[in-house]
Amino acid sequence: MRKAGAKVVKAKTKRALNVLITYCILIVVAFVFFFPCLWLILASFSKSGSIYSFDGFFPKEYGFDAFKSLFTDTVMYNYPRWFLNTLFIAVMSCVLGTLLTILTAYCMSRFRFRSRKAMMKATLVLGMFPSFMGTIAVYLIMTQFGLINQQWGLILIYSAQAPMGYMVQKGFFDTIPYSIDEAARIDGASNFTVFVKFILPLSKPMLVYTALTSFTWPWSDFILPKMLLIDKDLYTVAVGLMSLGETEFARFAAGSIFIAIPIIVLYFCLVKYMINGMSAGAVKE
Amino acid sequence: MKIKNYFKSLPARIKGVPKKLSARLAGAKEILTQGNGKVCASMAVMGLGQLIYRQWVKGFMFLFIQLAFIAYFIFTGATDLFGFFTLGTRESNAWYGVEGDNSVVMLITGILAIFIIVFYAVVYVANVKDAYRLQCAEDTLKAPDGFKKEAAALLDKSFHKTALALPVIGVCVFSILPIVFMILIAFTNYGGDVVPPALVDWVGFKNFGKILSLGQFAPTFFKIFGWNMIWAVLATALNYFAGLGLALLLNKKCVKGKAIWRAFPILAYAIPGFITLLGFKFMFSYGGPINYYIQQGGGAAVGFLGLDAKWTARFIGLAVNAWISVPSTMLLATGILSNINTDLYEAARVDGASAWKQFVKITLPYVLFATTPVLISQFIGNFNNFGIFYFLRGGLYVDGYFLASDTDLLINWLYNMSIDNNYYSIGAAISLVIFIITSVISLAVYVLSPSYKQEETFR
Repeated sequence: MRKAGAKVVKAKTKRALNVLITYCILIVVAFVFFFPCLWLILASFSKSGSIYSFDGFFPKEYGFDAFKSLFTDTVMYNYPRWFLNTLFIAVMSCVLGTLLTILTAYCMSRFRFRSRKAMMKATLVLGMFPSFMGTIAVYLIMTQFGLINQQWGLILIYSAQAPMGYMVQKGFFDTIPYSIDEAARIDGASNFTVFVKFILPLSKPMLVYTALTSFTWPWSDFILPKMLLIDKDLYTVAVGLMSLGETEFARFAAGSIFIAIPIIVLYFCLVKYMINGMSAGAVKE
Repeated sequence: MKIKNYFKSLPARIKGVPKKLSARLAGAKEILTQGNGKVCASMAVMGLGQLIYRQWVKGFMFLFIQLAFIAYFIFTGATDLFGFFTLGTRESNAWYGVEGDNSVVMLITGILAIFIIVFYAVVYVANVKDAYRLQCAEDTLKAPDGFKKEAAALLDKSFHKTALALPVIGVCVFSILPIVFMILIAFTNYGGDVVPPALVDWVGFKNFGKILSLGQFAPTFFKIFGWNMIWAVLATALNYFAGLGLALLLNKKCVKGKAIWRAFPILAYAIPGFITLLGFKFMFSYGGPINYYIQQGGGAAVGFLGLDAKWTARFIGLAVNAWISVPSTMLLATGILSNINTDLYEAARVDGASAWKQFVKITLPYVLFATTPVLISQFIGNFNNFGIFYFLRGGLYVDGYFLASDTDLLINWLYNMSIDNNYYSIGAAISLVIFIITSVISLAVYVLSPSYKQEETFR
């Protein structure tokens, strides 16, 4: 009797310990991920901009100076302009890129044509090339087309290169049963109608995932804009922020917060789609 | 086992190649021998056969394409193609006001000309085949499809042709053309003093020989390559298991408020990478907060990312990379874990399997199976992880390395050499080497992975 009781107590303490350890780890993890963000947020509220006037992680004095100068002192660093540039480029590339990627993935999933397998292998192999090595060539091509120092040039590149990453979307389309297509086609629908009326509504999670990834890429890319945009007024935020030094740390932090917030909000609203999208590309069962 | 099967089926596949080829040739032979005068007319002038068959719209379209191609070829195509082989012959001379040839531009336009010629050839073959199809329709007394019907098919039976046209053109111009250019650059002497207006020349395999033998490049190459492999393996394993562990932890029944706990890693994931990297660089810099506390404690400031901070910088790189990539692995693993059949665990528990055993026997194999493709792409992504050390220690050159630091990966070295220091051809040769390494690994794993082989079975 007593023995059994001791066993129950032992099991209970074991479980309690288990819970305790779990929560300890979770707290550590949360701290590790949250602290750098908190540090940046605090830094953006520091009164003096330089990183050398900090007490360790914490600014000596707090104020809104960094935000004020970010939006008003635009002679050297025209942040509002950069922000609008980035927004324009990212939105346009997102719309075009998503369209092209979804179309490619759908065709690769549903049609059986002669060069299909070859194209699939080719895209996989081409994806292995260190991408920016081609940027020298892209730069030369853009000069040939007269698209240097123009935002449309960037949009063209981003959306034209987007279909290369169609594999995740194809994986998703593969999981939509064929019987839907067949039923619709018996009713006399063309493949175009099937795609627009039946497949697209079913693939909303994938559309959201694709749109999100093709938005964040131009939003945070720095190699291409740095290479193709010359005028300071045409800069994207990534290029602009990179030109800020350690003495402008508060301004860097404030600018980072504004560029990060839209993405963070998007991610939190769409996290369900993200999980579905990511695992759809991987799981094939 | 699978590898064995793949190689076993290889001879059969190679034997199949001539068969396929001969089938294609037979098709061509049939058109050549059986085709009537109208088909020949289409061969001579594109679209003529179609016009004789009263297929006006299509006929004029083919005709227009041929005329456009001829015009292109006469005005620029021929010189572009010629320039591809010579890479320019006229040297510029500012003294006499002679504007010389720009070899690099000539290379690009030359590749473009080849693309256009190949495209034209494809259209030409399609044109002849189409004329032959009309002839067959006539022979069997069937009315051929009118233009309207064929246009409608572009939204139905051949919807893929319509839908893929734009993506294929885009990818050809902005992905494939640059890659082809880069590959070809590896076989020229472009770079160093030889940049336009000087004339560039083809040099064959000399650049590869230089990487492997020249005292300047070879030691650096092998040192960086070794570190690159270690980095890719360590970073991938760390991110993968940390992400999986985090997902399992959050999956535990005893954890309350999962959404809140999950929010912290997602926050880290959502912040654009360059901000994170620049932020961490500030954090570990000489005047940064970490050094502030070290100095408060009476120590001297440490150059975590400084010139002789080989291993600290490497570990910081690993940690920062994990900070950035673990959340995405966690999200992925969360999605996959929610798909595991819970009956398996129930059965395991009835059989008295411990938690560890359940993990090793059920969870791990399942997750590994489901994420093989992702694992490959993560390995490649880490192998070519440009951002980490570009932001943390960019522009640093260390003794014993040629234009590189001891944390640089091959891709960073490539950047230093080609973009910062004009060694274009050597850089291109190195990127070819990187490409060969990564593509061999990933193609092998991909072809052997279940998701490629069993593509059709899940229908």
